Amino acid sequence: MSKSRSSSLSAHAAALSSKSTANQSKFFKTLGEDIWKNKIEKINAELFVMTYGVIVQQLCQDLNNDYIKINENLFSMGYNIGVRLIEDFLARTALPRCPNMTMTSEVISKVAFKIFLNITPQIENWNTNRDSFSIILTENPLTEFVELPQDAMKQLWYSNIICGVLKGALEMVQLDCDVNFMTDVLRGDLTTEIKIKLNKILKDEIPLGED
Amino acid sequence: MPHQRNSSIQNPEALERQRQYELFQESLPKVNALVYQMLLNEIIPLSSHVENQLQTIPMEEFSEDQTESQLKDLSLEEKQVSNPSSSDQLIYKLSQLADEDENEFNNTLKRVRDIGIKLGTRLTNLLVFTNNVNLNFKEMDLLLIMKFICRDVWKQIFGKQIDNLKTNHRGTFYLIDYDYALIQDFCIETNTIPSQLNEEVITSKELKLVEPFLELPVGIIKGVLLSLGYPLEEVICLATFIDKPREKIRNGFPKGISFHVQITKPNQQQ
Amino acid sequence: MGIEAILIINKSGGLIYHRSFTSPQVDPSNPTITSTTKHTLNSNDLLILASTLHSVFAISSQITPKALQLSQSNINYTIPYHPYVGVANPQTTPKNNMPTKYGSFKGDDYFKEPFHNWNKSGLKQLSTDQFTMYIYQTMTGLKFVAISSSVLPSGTGSGENNNNAGANTVNINGSQYNMGSQIADNLLRKVYCVYSDYVMKDPFYSLEMPIKSDLFDDRVKSLIDHLL
Repeated sequence: MSKSRSSSLSAHAAALSSKSTANQSKFFKTLGEDIWKNKIEKINAELFVMTYGVIVQQLCQDLNNDYIKINENLFSMGYNIGVRLIEDFLARTALPRCPNMTMTSEVISKVAFKIFLNITPQIENWNTNRDSFSIILTENPLTEFVELPQDAMKQLWYSNIICGVLKGALEMVQLDCDVNFMTDVLRGDLTTEIKIKLNKILKDEIPLGED
Repeated sequence: MPHQRNSSIQNPEALERQRQYELFQESLPKVNALVYQMLLNEIIPLSSHVENQLQTIPMEEFSEDQTESQLKDLSLEEKQVSNPSSSDQLIYKLSQLADEDENEFNNTLKRVRDIGIKLGTRLTNLLVFTNNVNLNFKEMDLLLIMKFICRDVWKQIFGKQIDNLKTNHRGTFYLIDYDYALIQDFCIETNTIPSQLNEEVITSKELKLVEPFLELPVGIIKGVLLSLGYPLEEVICLATFIDKPREKIRNGFPKGISFHVQITKPNQQQ
Repeated sequence: MGIEAILIINKSGGLIYHRSFTSPQVDPSNPTITSTTKHTLNSNDLLILASTLHSVFAISSQITPKALQLSQSNINYTIPYHPYVGVANPQTTPKNNMPTKYGSFKGDDYFKEPFHNWNKSGLKQLSTDQFTMYIYQTMTGLKFVAISSSVLPSGTGSGENNNNAGANTVNINGSQYNMGSQIADNLLRKVYCVYSDYVMKDPFYSLEMPIKSDLFDDRVKSLIDHLL
């Protein structure tokens, strides 16, 4: 019993401290899939799309199609979810602090997106400082069956709630980031791309005792 | 008042169909239920926040000219409008509901209800197209529709059925949910010191803050009825807090909810 | 291990939750004195306790010798999973009484794998001849504190809990792990799970503020009740 426990223990530690990105990547992928499969209560994705669609529709109606304002509202809605959802994420995964944005991006795509939305987006477009990257949503569970009217296509970031969630969640782990949509297939673009740019690590807020 | 449980005795064939239907439901794409619950919960602070914005922004800003000029500038501005990087103004305070005046509060209620109505209308479509062989919309009378709401609609959106359906068979229904899913985890800041002995200490002021969360299901009920041929103005739907049966008191929110539904146009009834 | 109390301290050192689990027991020889008298801390004392713990935690992190800080790359901060700490054990619980999920955590336990401890150089454990206190800190800066009536034998690094006969220390990568501390970390991570489930889902809860949820209280109590 204790033998098998300690061997799985060192495997866990080894994967996390591994210098090989491929190993880490694989570990996160397995972790995300395992949590999704075994630990998560699920609901019909179509109900989710529909509900979100109704919320956006109501915002358009109330704010008289002022898409800039709608984007803002969707963003703060997401932010309010993100600052709370991060605790669920950390309690469930207990993953160590990421030493760099490369690992952060892996955790976001393979673990966070997997256990909350059941998708694993691609990470691309790193800048040379490696503090900015893009999340490419090849599938987006918020926009299934959605089509935008002409005027909305120019200004509305329909899924902006996701940016808000990411912003809120990252801030709670002391990463001050800008999170923005760059492109969206709903606007006629070829891809759906969210850009995350690290502004600064909020060093003063990192809990003492962690270093 | 005659009493109608919404469980029906089913023959093996119907059970098999039900099983098939559940398997089908299982096979559909899924997302995390917690995320969905948080999305539903955020509807209320969002609605209140929007109300706040509408009150502080002069309506002229929304005038046609403004939109026109914004559209013209688009080529320049499109890429520049980005999400705020400072989070100072992002946090919603749900307690602001308490500060809203009667008019604002009612607007917030209406906004949440409107979202519910839109959702209810679409839910019917969703459920019609899921091949649930137990549903036959052509032959549905009002009672069957209410049962459909209690069972299928509630199950789909809140993960449980309505606890109790009562009717006088003359167009009045009471749908009773002792643990309405959305509010179960709520704990409202109390200024009074709750007595240890009386666990039911919850003031009307606190209950008022929860009211907007009841407008969502009210809207859903109205929306489903609308999509099945009962126009909004002919349906009265009101939610009230009711006491829970003794054995349920310790679990979750201290009050149960009763949705009172009345169809006002007599000739619509069966 | 008997848990006397659970505390939660927010990232600024404010006490946001406190629950004591000692039921008042009347001393038969002197019915006027109850055994809880030694624990009567009023709410002001508790606030001071919380902020003091917060400070000592930070100081202990700062006085870590530099040499150790530099060489600590080989320390393993992974905590082993101890099965069914604070939840019903499927081997001893009749199947129909076995919960299939805890809150939104599906399965017969909140988690089942070894996990990373975020608290590396802060105070982890404090003991006197009367009690032991354990601290678990999250990445967001929350501190979950358990006060246990079990006493650690002085001079050894190994925890000795009467109910944990057998392998008291597990030797991994050369570092000795303390059984009592491991169990406390398992327990406190579960309190964190319950917090994320019942406190974070309440839209009326404002971050950093005191927790007054009965449901949360019930779930925490259930964890403590299921401890051996």
